[in-house]
Amino acid sequence: MLAKKGVGLPSFLKTGTTIVGLIFQDGVILGADTRATEGPIVADKNCEKIHYMAPNIYCCGAGTAADTEAVTDMVSSQLQLHRYHTGRESRVVTALTLLKKHLFSYQGHVSAALVLGGVDITGPHLHTIYPHGSTDTLPFATMGSGSLAAMAMFESNYKEGLTRDEGIKLVVDAICSGIFNDLGSGSNVDVCVITKGHKEYLRNHLLPNPRTFVSSKGYTFTKKTEVLSTKIIPLKERVEVTERGDAMEE
Amino acid sequence: MTKQAANWSPYDNNGGSCVAIAGIDYCVIAADTRMSTGYSILTREYSKICKLADKSLMASSGFQADVKALQKFLAARHLIYQHQHNKQMSCPAMAQLLSNTLYYKRFFPYYSFNVLGGLDTEGKGCVYTYDAVGSYERVGYGCQGSGSTLIMPFLDNQLKSPSPLLLPAQDAVTPLSEAEAVDLVKTCFASATERDIYTGDKLEIVVLNADGIRREYMELRKD
Amino acid sequence: MESNQAKNSLLSSHDNIQRTQYPYVTGTSVVALKYKDGILMASDMGGSYGSTLRYKSVERLKPIGKHSLLGASGELSDFQEILRYLDELILYDNMWDDGNSLGPKEVHNYLTRVMYNRRNKFDPLWNTLVLGGVKKGHKYLGMVSMIGVNFEDDHVATGFGNHLARPILRDEWREDLTFEEGVKLLEKCMRVLLYRDRSAVNKLQIAKITEEGVTISQPYSLKTFWGFSAFQNPTVGAEGSW
Repeated sequence: MLAKKGVGLPSFLKTGTTIVGLIFQDGVILGADTRATEGPIVADKNCEKIHYMAPNIYCCGAGTAADTEAVTDMVSSQLQLHRYHTGRESRVVTALTLLKKHLFSYQGHVSAALVLGGVDITGPHLHTIYPHGSTDTLPFATMGSGSLAAMAMFESNYKEGLTRDEGIKLVVDAICSGIFNDLGSGSNVDVCVITKGHKEYLRNHLLPNPRTFVSSKGYTFTKKTEVLSTKIIPLKERVEVTERGDAMEE
Repeated sequence: MTKQAANWSPYDNNGGSCVAIAGIDYCVIAADTRMSTGYSILTREYSKICKLADKSLMASSGFQADVKALQKFLAARHLIYQHQHNKQMSCPAMAQLLSNTLYYKRFFPYYSFNVLGGLDTEGKGCVYTYDAVGSYERVGYGCQGSGSTLIMPFLDNQLKSPSPLLLPAQDAVTPLSEAEAVDLVKTCFASATERDIYTGDKLEIVVLNADGIRREYMELRKD
Repeated sequence: MESNQAKNSLLSSHDNIQRTQYPYVTGTSVVALKYKDGILMASDMGGSYGSTLRYKSVERLKPIGKHSLLGASGELSDFQEILRYLDELILYDNMWDDGNSLGPKEVHNYLTRVMYNRRNKFDPLWNTLVLGGVKKGHKYLGMVSMIGVNFEDDHVATGFGNHLARPILRDEWREDLTFEEGVKLLEKCMRVLLYRDRSAVNKLQIAKITEEGVTISQPYSLKTFWGFSAFQNPTVGAEGSW
């Protein structure tokens, strides 16, 4: 009755994430949480959201997991081919252009919201890419459902020329802010530090959410389906099977 | 001017899970203390458990404003009952009152998912579970709310009670000791918090037995 | 008459009565917190007409009775109506002349009932309200939404503030915050809101309520920083693309 009046009950279906990136004095740091959701249920407690693009470029993905993975894998292979062709290190703009061209041509139907970061011959770069294909060049960036929580940390603490340790700490703070304040984000913190000619992928850099209770006795699940009757029908032998040498082996 | 909001809903889902287990001489009622809307946490410390009478407690999740209105209504009705009968309402009586109250708003329901736990007139543990419009049943254990789909199968596995269709009727109370029941509830919530985004922050456990009411808290994941 | 309409719209199936309303002039976030001696509350002074910044000097923090402070976001005319309700409430309470006065808890409870009652009539007051106060050494801080959802906490924020300010408050809030620290924390939150909430303006008020009563600051601005080198020439960061 209420539904007919256009008053619907609340419903779910969205994918949540917190991904961030910032530029520090010698490069770029990317960060991500590790929760994957399906509506209100946590589908994966420790997934990877920082994707490889090139040896010097990584990309965080928010949105539909399949889309972010497909689009980053695809562009990553295009970059590899381009490197074989030119024999030069990939540039961040190249990745950026390939990504935005693809996303724009799909008019937002490929739901990938990305934070792209890397260091190339022209220096460190950080970009955000929206599902419709628009891009942005920023000193610090956040994406996903936890983007506001993470941005609150960046807006109040970011400075230019951060050191590596300060940078990592700020990225961790921003991701933690997403993890603890946004229900779509959770579990652990992944970090990726990219500097000139070097990168460090810190998988599960921080594990701030251990299980809070384990029963001392543990639980048993012994109750099996009750067997009411048993009847065994032996297979009829239709083929004669003889034991012989190892004809099929090797 | 562009219209800011396309529509308005009189309901919200503020999340959370509730569990109640009845034993031979006790009842355990538990709920998490997270209150949320959409993907945001409103507060990490909101009690979902309400004492309705000396021997009945209600844990509710759903739409907080409706839950609060329901609690206030039941409190008022219980006060009237006390004036008229000079005693506390029994848990089975409160269970019927709750059902009637919910059904009264059948066409503009309280968006509230309740479990009522307490001790019956013989001092035996009792649990009643409800839907939002007042259908109810006495059970040995029950659970409601956003994490109920995760918790219920586990409780079924651990505490499977005799079919309510059996004749003569079998006792629905669980065979566990009080401490075992509390342990089971803690495991339920620790596990539900792992996989349900709306359950978390803190667990409030209320144990009701012949000695009275005891409250216990346990931390849950805050992500 | 009005209740009749509401009834008809709920029960009859063929009506064209507009039940759902839209906000016209709105105010954005309110942020508030408990500190050592009481409650601090902050809000900016913008009044948005859709996406137009229509008013620039709207006071959204108001003292209520002797012990309470009310902050509101959402429809400003509804807020002013609520203020009229509260004036009446306080007046009728004073008429008892028994030396008793309504505390923040009572006012908050009243607001909760008003908001919930109006949502039941499918005619909501389009606001999120923050109520803070101190009475008999007891600090109180609570919130009510448009549909009656209400709770108390050590710090609260409405609208965008819930997404941008509360993460900061959850990190940095302490029970024993001094007045100076509290103001600094609120300013930090308001600055982030100013940067990231498009309807926020750089003109705000901070109000304080303690056992001694309410003080609301004169409007003032926050210092902002826009000097990041990446902001100077944005295209240089993506040369070769478009």
